[in-house]
Amino acid sequence: MLIDKGFTVVRPLAGGLDAWADAGFPLEEIVIE
Amino acid sequence: MTRLVHYVIVYGVPLVFLNVLAEQLGAPIPAMPALVVAGALTRNGQMSSTHVLIAAVIASLIADYIWYELGRRYGYRILRTLCRISLSPDSCVRDTEARFERWGLKSLLIAKFIPGFSTVAPPLAGAARQSRIAFLLYDALGALLWAGSAVAAGRLFFRAIDRVLLAIENLGYWALLLLGSALAIIIIMKWMQRVQFLKQLRLARIAPGALKDLIDTGASPVVLDVRTPSARKRDTRRIPTAIIANTDDIEGQLRHLEPNTEIVLYCT
Repeated sequence: MLIDKGFTVVRPLAGGLDAWADAGFPLEEIVIE
Repeated sequence: MTRLVHYVIVYGVPLVFLNVLAEQLGAPIPAMPALVVAGALTRNGQMSSTHVLIAAVIASLIADYIWYELGRRYGYRILRTLCRISLSPDSCVRDTEARFERWGLKSLLIAKFIPGFSTVAPPLAGAARQSRIAFLLYDALGALLWAGSAVAAGRLFFRAIDRVLLAIENLGYWALLLLGSALAIIIIMKWMQRVQFLKQLRLARIAPGALKDLIDTGASPVVLDVRTPSARKRDTRRIPTAIIANTDDIEGQLRHLEPNTEIVLYCT
């Protein structure tokens, strides 16, 4: 969808949020406004 | 009566049952042709449409309930496994989850008409902890609609189907070879499509470590959280600085970005 909108460099994160968390990288809480 | 039709009449209901069960469990064997042929044979009383429909609905319920319980037990992990083994690359957790979120259990009424969604909807209902009774009710209604429409199509086009059956009968064992080859070609094509899709995905993906390096070196890629609202409710964390994407207005959210901006998106 993003590529259709004209963006040329779009990459999904391998393994998603879980892989990021499993790697021990920082996370923050979503603040609902 | 041809010999083939005779066999279909004698073993038709168990065949429909096994075919529907296999398809709903995830095997790439479409049940629609068997249901349409069975429908044609119910037209002149050679088979009972009630028996065909009961067999199809029960087989559907058994397979879907197994997936539902797996979804309930293993949560969204079972969906990831399903998507990994699925031969339909167009069915991804996010798409199906978004569809399920929009329609809820009512999506089960039409799930069987949408390729890819049929096998994923029951475990999704389980993972979302929908009630068992409501699930079985909607699933049975959906199966009845799906099998009923196939049987109705068979009844409507029974003359044409009779001619096809006769032609297959005349081909003898060649017919089996032709049907087997057609099925094998479909499976091989889907598998090749899948391999190609995964290859493209592997090339395009960015590993968490590489993203971390990009952020640390100040390259500042735009990170988009494209999870569904319910997925964000289940896990309220995000990658720092990630933009919460609203898929209905993503263009508006990103309108200030240059087309060559590096965008990294993530699901669960």
